[in-house]
Amino acid sequence: MMKKIIAVAVILAIFATFAAGCGSKKVPVIGISQYGEHASLDNCREGFIQGLKDAGLAEGKDFTIDYQNAGFDDDIATQIAQTFSANNVAIMVGIATPAATACFAAAEDKDIPVVFTAITDPVKAKLDKGNITGTSDKLPVDAQLDLIRKIQPEAKTIGIIYTTSEPNSVSAIAEYEEKAPQYGFAIESIGVTQQSEVTLAVDTLLSKGVDCFSNLTDNNVVGVLPSILEKTNEAKVPVYGSEVEQVKIGCVAAAGIDYIALGIQTGKMAAKILKGEATAENMPYETITEFNYYINSAALAEMGLEVPAEIAEKAIESGQ
Amino acid sequence: MGSFFDLVVGTVTQGLIYALLSLGVYITYRILDFPDLTVDGSFPLGAAVAAVLLTRGVSPYLTLIVAMAVGALAGLVTGVIHVKLGVRDLLAGIITMTGLFSINLQIAGSNLAVDRATDTIFTAAPTMALFGAMPLIYRKLVVSLILAVVFKLILDAYFSTQSGLLLRAVGDNSTLVTTLAKDKGSVKILGLVISNTLVALSGAVVCHEQRAFNSTMGTGQVVFGLATVIIGTTLFKNLGFVKGTTAVIIGSILYKACIQVAISLGLPANLLKLITAVLFLIILVLGNRRKSGVNANA
Amino acid sequence: MLELRDIVKIYNPGTITEMCLFQGFNLTVADGDFLSIVGSNGSGKTSLLNIICGSIPVEGGQVLINGEDITKMKEYRRYGRIGRVYQNPAMGSCPNLTLLENLSLADNKGRPFGLKKGINKARREYYREQLAALGLGLEDKLEVKMGALSGGQRQAAALIMATLTPIDFLILDEHTAALDPKTAETIMELTDKVIREKKLTAIMVTHNLRYAVEYGNRLIMMDKGQIVLEKAGAEKEATTVADVLHIFNEISIECGN
Repeated sequence: MMKKIIAVAVILAIFATFAAGCGSKKVPVIGISQYGEHASLDNCREGFIQGLKDAGLAEGKDFTIDYQNAGFDDDIATQIAQTFSANNVAIMVGIATPAATACFAAAEDKDIPVVFTAITDPVKAKLDKGNITGTSDKLPVDAQLDLIRKIQPEAKTIGIIYTTSEPNSVSAIAEYEEKAPQYGFAIESIGVTQQSEVTLAVDTLLSKGVDCFSNLTDNNVVGVLPSILEKTNEAKVPVYGSEVEQVKIGCVAAAGIDYIALGIQTGKMAAKILKGEATAENMPYETITEFNYYINSAALAEMGLEVPAEIAEKAIESGQ
Repeated sequence: MGSFFDLVVGTVTQGLIYALLSLGVYITYRILDFPDLTVDGSFPLGAAVAAVLLTRGVSPYLTLIVAMAVGALAGLVTGVIHVKLGVRDLLAGIITMTGLFSINLQIAGSNLAVDRATDTIFTAAPTMALFGAMPLIYRKLVVSLILAVVFKLILDAYFSTQSGLLLRAVGDNSTLVTTLAKDKGSVKILGLVISNTLVALSGAVVCHEQRAFNSTMGTGQVVFGLATVIIGTTLFKNLGFVKGTTAVIIGSILYKACIQVAISLGLPANLLKLITAVLFLIILVLGNRRKSGVNANA
Repeated sequence: MLELRDIVKIYNPGTITEMCLFQGFNLTVADGDFLSIVGSNGSGKTSLLNIICGSIPVEGGQVLINGEDITKMKEYRRYGRIGRVYQNPAMGSCPNLTLLENLSLADNKGRPFGLKKGINKARREYYREQLAALGLGLEDKLEVKMGALSGGQRQAAALIMATLTPIDFLILDEHTAALDPKTAETIMELTDKVIREKKLTAIMVTHNLRYAVEYGNRLIMMDKGQIVLEKAGAEKEATTVADVLHIFNEISIECGN
């Protein structure tokens, strides 16, 4: 009997604690569900909040942020979205596809608008119709190929490692392969299924004699970037990135999206919704097209490479 | 306090959907005494099959049945690898799970989303005819509850059949099954088939609920399943009137509730797993404390 | 009738620990025999039972039941006509199933295990009778989990379970060895009663020389894979524990035990 009482008490205690964060608030709450801790995604979030402020909204007065991080766990993303939905937040923000998908599912028969960011292909993710809008972060593949050609005029092959299950990477690889010949490159790509295979793939590509590497925004690859650079630096093969964070770690250069800018753009869209100037339903998602050049002079020097002046003057020095 | 109530409804719904997976793990881990890692592969397998069929316009109810059939096949593969090829239980599961990762992607192409215009078991006409009057989140609760209860009752009924008794016997004392002139290997295979059928069903329902298949959605599901089975059976160990299947369903709801509490308290995600582990430990220790004095049967 | 012909059994063949136990072993057990086997540890008694049941493979020779060669037959198939009670009382039943469930399982041996009700209510009374005859009060414990019963009760139930359906042979593998002397006595008496009532052919391995002498119509003593003493019929009737003990000691001295 004691057992039964304890069991019931445990259940009650658990549900009782739900009440804690559920009070109704006057200030509209923006629920941000970020798929995981990741420099680019963090930048998106910071940019998003910046964007709201740029649009004239003040945190604490016009909006408050309920930030949740799913730790790259889809099930937790689902529960985070449910929490937002149950709390009737003003806007749900999903950073990266799984987080946005969960938010959209949780909002299925509610009027809560969903705003997403850091999604490469919203159409494929079926996040293009309904009370949803946001920004897409397609890689500037042409600019990347062009940058490599200008820094390494003699290079023939580019090595790329990607995760076969990441749709963003798969579509980026396809675009790379399609466009590389226009810039006189051949692509040597290796697909991996998990992070532990990445360094093996680096060895394989080095042994094939690729002239450089290009990183996408593939989470598995970026996650072990320091160990990739250790191998490539030894072999004197330069690595290009797709975002500023990769250049900070030691990639020679990148033509990449500014995720803070992406976040700001998204934040401005959310501000319109919050002010009632537009709805997520009738605001189409936007694809960011501008990109920045980022360079790491120390890494370039080590490889004996120089950046043409036309790029150098636009580039942002991102080395440590 | 409408929002609080909604949150409870949502959490219980998640618990019920994943309870199907827990019931599957209950069969392998608790009844067969077989640590089956196939789950991490058969769960997304069910989702992949459901996603592909839904996007092709197949009846949502039929997608669940096909997902179950494919899940059964996954269990069969692990069973055959273990029993007929003599590979150890853990390794047999790992082999199938690893293979399924590729197969799942092959089935679905890549991560696959189902758009809102497509009907799921929560929105299709027959469901709407019965429960159309209620908002979606209550409909999801009711449908998940029906699924969990129906499969729990089917399992309970099965366990009391001759075949079900034999299944329970094989995990309890496989030597006895041999002396009953029955091939214990075949019985184990049967258990793995039933288990993975339920696991794949759970994956399919998650796909209906989330409208998405994600190739990595299986990661950690074995651990979830084991945790819920152990939480459930430990909490209700001394309550004779609570069946193992019921205990496991409650275990699944409690697990999701723990996560929900952590989220509601605003604990950082990176700590969620640690908190779950601590809760898990507390429940286990409490359960063992109560058990002391009773001679545990190995 | 059970026949073992020219059985060769080598443990760990082809390795440094290779050990040849049987080299052309022969034994015939006629229908209705109750054969007791004694011998020191390592003499091959349990290996013999395992060879009959197919629990271990043989390197040569044949096992025949009623003239049919079953040497290649899988273990579980052989149990279609063999019942076995083990030394460890836990081996003969499922601890987490109730006594009734255990009996129902045993009662269905030889038939398919389908989706019919696992417990046949109509048989309940029959089980109660069978259990009541044991005189251990088990008839009132049908709903009790097997694991909660004492070793003696479990062994008695295992005996009933092994003989519930028609079988050709009953194999008793030191089935009283793990019990206290009084319970062992009870179980041994029950065993004899069951064998007589059901007219079973039985092979019993035991360390208890008195049981071997008192029960059954045949007795063999084994040593290093060979039969060193065999008594049957009237000759066995006349054999005393002292006779057997004498020979047993001789063997043991040779072994340096």
